[in-house]
Amino acid sequence: MLYGYAFLSPALILFVVFIAGPLLGAIALSFYKWDLFTPREFVGLQNYRDLRDDRVATIAIRNSFVFAFWSIVLHMTFGMLLALAVNRAMHGALRYFLRTAFFFPLLISWASVSLIWRYALNPNFGFFNYYLRQIGLHPPNWLVDRHWAMEAVLFVDLWRTVGFTFIVLLAGLQGVPRELYEAAMIDGAGTLRRFVNVTIPMISPTIFFVLVLNFIGAFQIFEPMFIMTNGGPANSTRSIVQLIFETGFRSFEMGYASAMAIVVFVVILIATLVQFAGGRYWVHHD
Amino acid sequence: MTERVIQRSGVHARRAGNWALNVVLAVLGILMLAPFYWVFITSLLTTKDAFQLPPVWFPSEITVVNYRRVFELIPFWHMALNSLKISGIITLGSVTTSVLAAYAFARLRFPGRDVLFIILLSALMVPVQVTVIPTFILIRHLHLLDTHEAVYLPALINVFGIFLLRQFFLSIPREIEDSARIDGAGHLRILLQIVVPLSGPAISALAIFTFQAAWNEFFWTNLFLTSADRMTLPVGIVSLQGQYGGGSSFAIFAAASMIVFPTLILFTFTQRFLTESIARTGIKG
Repeated sequence: MLYGYAFLSPALILFVVFIAGPLLGAIALSFYKWDLFTPREFVGLQNYRDLRDDRVATIAIRNSFVFAFWSIVLHMTFGMLLALAVNRAMHGALRYFLRTAFFFPLLISWASVSLIWRYALNPNFGFFNYYLRQIGLHPPNWLVDRHWAMEAVLFVDLWRTVGFTFIVLLAGLQGVPRELYEAAMIDGAGTLRRFVNVTIPMISPTIFFVLVLNFIGAFQIFEPMFIMTNGGPANSTRSIVQLIFETGFRSFEMGYASAMAIVVFVVILIATLVQFAGGRYWVHHD
Repeated sequence: MTERVIQRSGVHARRAGNWALNVVLAVLGILMLAPFYWVFITSLLTTKDAFQLPPVWFPSEITVVNYRRVFELIPFWHMALNSLKISGIITLGSVTTSVLAAYAFARLRFPGRDVLFIILLSALMVPVQVTVIPTFILIRHLHLLDTHEAVYLPALINVFGIFLLRQFFLSIPREIEDSARIDGAGHLRILLQIVVPLSGPAISALAIFTFQAAWNEFFWTNLFLTSADRMTLPVGIVSLQGQYGGGSSFAIFAAASMIVFPTLILFTFTQRFLTESIARTGIKG
């Protein structure tokens, strides 16, 4: 019996010190005003009240949601299309190349990727806009245009991480028994019917898994905005992670930053629970 | 007759469609990698050539001046060593704590086991936004700011890893361990001599992903480390951004190339194993 606790203790101690403790700490801190240097002052719900009227915080929360929503839609759509396209009879070398090409950016840090794209999207010497102009388009100056900066970040995010969704969904597709498709074909089901009635239910646990991971990842994203646009222009790409980072470590408002964090936490918690509750209706476990 | 012609033209159309789709896919794959190639080529150009459009894809004249700039501006090798040290400690440490905890959850009986497991799992829903402020205060309180300990200590727990390994351990038949147990082997010996060797693929996959995430980590490292000689590569390369001026911004291209190319070579050889492990963990979840 003691063995159980002994084996568990390293993980459990670290869990208490670096996850559970900080979570409770953030809840407690959210009721205080504290700049790290002078004594803290209990202010009750004042931080939460301030948050309600904070225009930048509202924008940042909305940005995080908009980003998460579109990021998930784009990743699931393109990841699925790619997986379906690669899950056909094709030359082994081509499949190997595609898996390598789409997966590789995942291995490069967000720091390097953000810097690379900052330059690639530069209208003066980046290749991206040059070729868009060559094919007759009039591309905006992505990262400094208030209406296009978030789109650019979404694009770079898709480019870097779609490989994960693609590879996992592809493995899911390869696990669907062929006989099921053949049976559906004999029953006269067309391509779309086979996709909706065979593919989706058969790989629904895999879809659910990448959906949840994409959601968690999208909400914690920080580097591409921080490095490519630093939240600008005009707050259009300021995410809630960056705002908490700045409120805590640039303005030293520890209590206020904690209140923001708790609000976000509650929202994510509800969204996750909704995902799991909803999953019961469409995810098939066998 | 006509029917056969129609059928055959259907097959032709299908084959042409397949072929066209393959071409589209191949082009997309090349476009995915193009930015890396562009970075590499640009890193070899003089500032004057690098600023030119159309972009140069096959340069006639190359220079290593940008690479020299990198070593003047940041202690590149020192940073690489820091990255290696921190990622190594995080990988070894967090895989160890995960293996121990996963074994306890999968094989040992003790009061509160299942409740503890659920509490631990719920940590997956706690985002960095929530823990960052209190963790920073704690690290500051312990006088660990600007030390490597600040970066790796909080990363020694990996709840996802515990979950993954527990699932894997549960799939190992108990009978294999029973004979060892009859021979009087303790839990630590059973774990090290039977369970761990049988879990090779799962543990190595976890180790690779932990290492890769630690090697690329930016948020916490950027928060805790301020001295250049203690920084890791991702933080170091971003710090280059603040230092440029007078054309040395292309030093970033050289630094990025030095980070990307070893990874690409390593990846080409390990792609199958890597993608298959990621797919396996995905399906297991």
